[in-house]
Amino acid sequence: MIEVQGLTKLYGEFVAVQELSFVVEPGEVMGLVGPNGAGKTTTLRCLCGIIPPTRGVVKICGLDLASEAIEAKRELAFLTDEPRLFDYLTVQQHLAFTARVYQVGNYRETAEQLLDELELSDKRDALPGELSRGMKQKLAIACGLLHSPRVLFFDEPLTGLDPIGIRRMKDSILRRARAGAAIIISSHLLHLVEEICSHLLILKNGRKVADGSLEEIKQQFSHQAPDASLEEVFFRATVDETRDS
Amino acid sequence: MSLLSALFFLQYNSFRNRMVYRLKRLKQPKYLVGGIVGALYFYFYFFRYLVQGNSGSRLPSVTASAEDLLLFEMLGGLALFIGFLLVWIFPRSRTVLAFSEAEVAFLFPAPISRRGLIHYKLLRSQVGILFTVALLTLVTNRFGGNPAIHAIGWWLILSTVNLHLLGASFARTILLDRGISPTHRRLFVVVLLVLVVAGTLFWARQSLPALTEDTLTNAASLKAYARTLLESGPAYYLLFPFRLVLAPYLAPNAASFLVALPAAFFLLVAHYVWVVRANVAFEEASADAARKTAEKIAAMRSGNWRAGQGKTKPRRAPFVLKPYGPAFVALFWKNLIAAGQVVSPRLWIILVAVGGGLALGLGGLPEARNAFLFMGAISGMLMAWSVLVGPQVLRHDFRQDLPMTDYLKQLPLPGWQLALGQLLAPVVILTAVQWLLIVVSALLLAKGTQIGPGPGAILAIAVSAVLLLPFVNAILLLIPNAAVLAFPAWFSGGKEAQQGVEATGQRIIAVLAQLLVFSLALIPAAVAFGIVYFLLHRFVGQFAALPPAAVAAALALAAEATLGILILGRFFEKLDISAELGPS
Repeated sequence: MIEVQGLTKLYGEFVAVQELSFVVEPGEVMGLVGPNGAGKTTTLRCLCGIIPPTRGVVKICGLDLASEAIEAKRELAFLTDEPRLFDYLTVQQHLAFTARVYQVGNYRETAEQLLDELELSDKRDALPGELSRGMKQKLAIACGLLHSPRVLFFDEPLTGLDPIGIRRMKDSILRRARAGAAIIISSHLLHLVEEICSHLLILKNGRKVADGSLEEIKQQFSHQAPDASLEEVFFRATVDETRDS
Repeated sequence: MSLLSALFFLQYNSFRNRMVYRLKRLKQPKYLVGGIVGALYFYFYFFRYLVQGNSGSRLPSVTASAEDLLLFEMLGGLALFIGFLLVWIFPRSRTVLAFSEAEVAFLFPAPISRRGLIHYKLLRSQVGILFTVALLTLVTNRFGGNPAIHAIGWWLILSTVNLHLLGASFARTILLDRGISPTHRRLFVVVLLVLVVAGTLFWARQSLPALTEDTLTNAASLKAYARTLLESGPAYYLLFPFRLVLAPYLAPNAASFLVALPAAFFLLVAHYVWVVRANVAFEEASADAARKTAEKIAAMRSGNWRAGQGKTKPRRAPFVLKPYGPAFVALFWKNLIAAGQVVSPRLWIILVAVGGGLALGLGGLPEARNAFLFMGAISGMLMAWSVLVGPQVLRHDFRQDLPMTDYLKQLPLPGWQLALGQLLAPVVILTAVQWLLIVVSALLLAKGTQIGPGPGAILAIAVSAVLLLPFVNAILLLIPNAAVLAFPAWFSGGKEAQQGVEATGQRIIAVLAQLLVFSLALIPAAVAFGIVYFLLHRFVGQFAALPPAAVAAALALAAEATLGILILGRFFEKLDISAELGPS
């Protein structure tokens, strides 16, 4: 459902992402991890069509993001840690706007469900300026999920959420994966990745260090320690390589 | 002293680093060109007169007589008095010393006394004051005079005003802490003011010759009366301290300046002592204000100029947005909401009713013809003014949404739909305002005109303008939007994006480029207009040929606008904001 072949992004001579290839099948949740500056956000921005890749092919649900951009974008949602909201539209108006752009005919029912689920029902006439950071995040999530995307990209999805919100967010991600969505989550929270991701992609300096199921990655970097935590695996995958080099 | 030196270190290094940053930025051609143009502008407009003296000035040297200088001093003192009075009447809130969020974070928890923070604030305000002094000196020096006297004079005035504003805000807070409400404070000040004004008027009635119609209509007599009123009686004593503040600036020569300086300096020092001796808790209000200011600046830098006008309120949608239909309408809808009350149907109905009613109802009165002619001309001028200013004021398009580029690029819309949706709201609003002004203007002129082309010609001109304006507006709005997408770094809300000589130069270049592109865009329309007009005017008359010629020109402009929207859409599709502003 998400196919990436040879994705490369250059800023002048600086290589942000280099020859990245991977596939995320329906129902899989892939964790995108790596140290600061590894190219995680740049990768996600390329995958959802915000910035054009310098080289490579990205396919969303079989649609080429370069040549069939509109159709591909209809199938995806990108939820960032910094919610992008129009400061002059209310919560309800944000949902109406999103529904029109994505042509979601029966959006009212879905919107009500999302507002209930995200505890925003009593804030429907509030502007983003009147919402807390967590509520803004929830509104961005509601807008992102309104058109029932089959591909979801999350960039630090738990930032700003309270414990109940975090629990619900995790449940929501897993529920959507079970319903057949292909999901990529970029996060520094390794316990989150370990809890909800089925697959892992480790990036460093824009290059892929490891890619596979959680078990495969653990095996690859556990060095015969079967109970190695993901944190240890992450350090071995990223720090050791630096020492080697 | 170590604390003051640390604060001075902060100020000095902040200023120096800002300058270094700007100088380094000049390595980029767009800033270098902007810097050169900005520097030339400042040289030719201001510095040339400083370097060459008044001989280089196009403005005549203003050598005021001693009497005039005295009158200026009186009137300036009166203005200062009114200004000072207002700061004791209007503000409601507690003392708010303006600190940035970083200053609040670093300085408030640091072991710095309240007085130390006030000193820091005063030191920081001097940076702004000195910059303002430099600008004001450059401006006022164009009229002649000694630049050193002007500079020191301005510094004394601005510093005293700054200290008084601060001292007054401390005093208001102390009054609030003592249970004296803003209403009681205002009442006291207003009663005092009424007594002073009544006393002055009573004195004037008793001591000065009565005001006659001749005095009021003759400038010299009026000036003489004002001078007598202000330089004798209660007004003299009332304005005396304010005149002392102004006297150094208005000194005609160095000797007078040296005589005036000690008193003004004494008042400045007295204000300083008043401010630094105040022990008022300002920290909480300042921290809160810093956060709000940071939010406002961020919003304004991102193009939301309304953010500076106060809190955004939820606004009713102009129409119900259904989930099906052309998607660009969603962008049009959201930008109409952003434009707020301007697009409220109720407001439009009221405006149309009032404008049309006035024009039609009163237009029948024969004695009102001159007034209608005047009002009609004013409406016409407002309409012409809106063509120039409207596209700069109505920014509910890509300029407003530049910080939302990431979000907009995710939307499943082709570029042309995004461009069309983003441009529609300002075009529609501007056109509606102009159409209303045209209708009002045409009705008033038609009622008021006895000589000249007559109602038929006015109707022909009005119809032609109505046909042309939507497309003219579209072209005028396309240009700045294309500029934003072509050079996002020029318009981004990034640090220092909108400051400096180079930013001034960039704005000048942008305005000139806009004029050039608009002039070029008008050529095909002018040709189409000319051909149709030439073919028709012999058969149907010169005024009747105008609307068909306008239709031809409008078609040419519409074709250009369509092409422009397609190009703008491609611009947006190709826009790689991270390449312009750096990777995130």
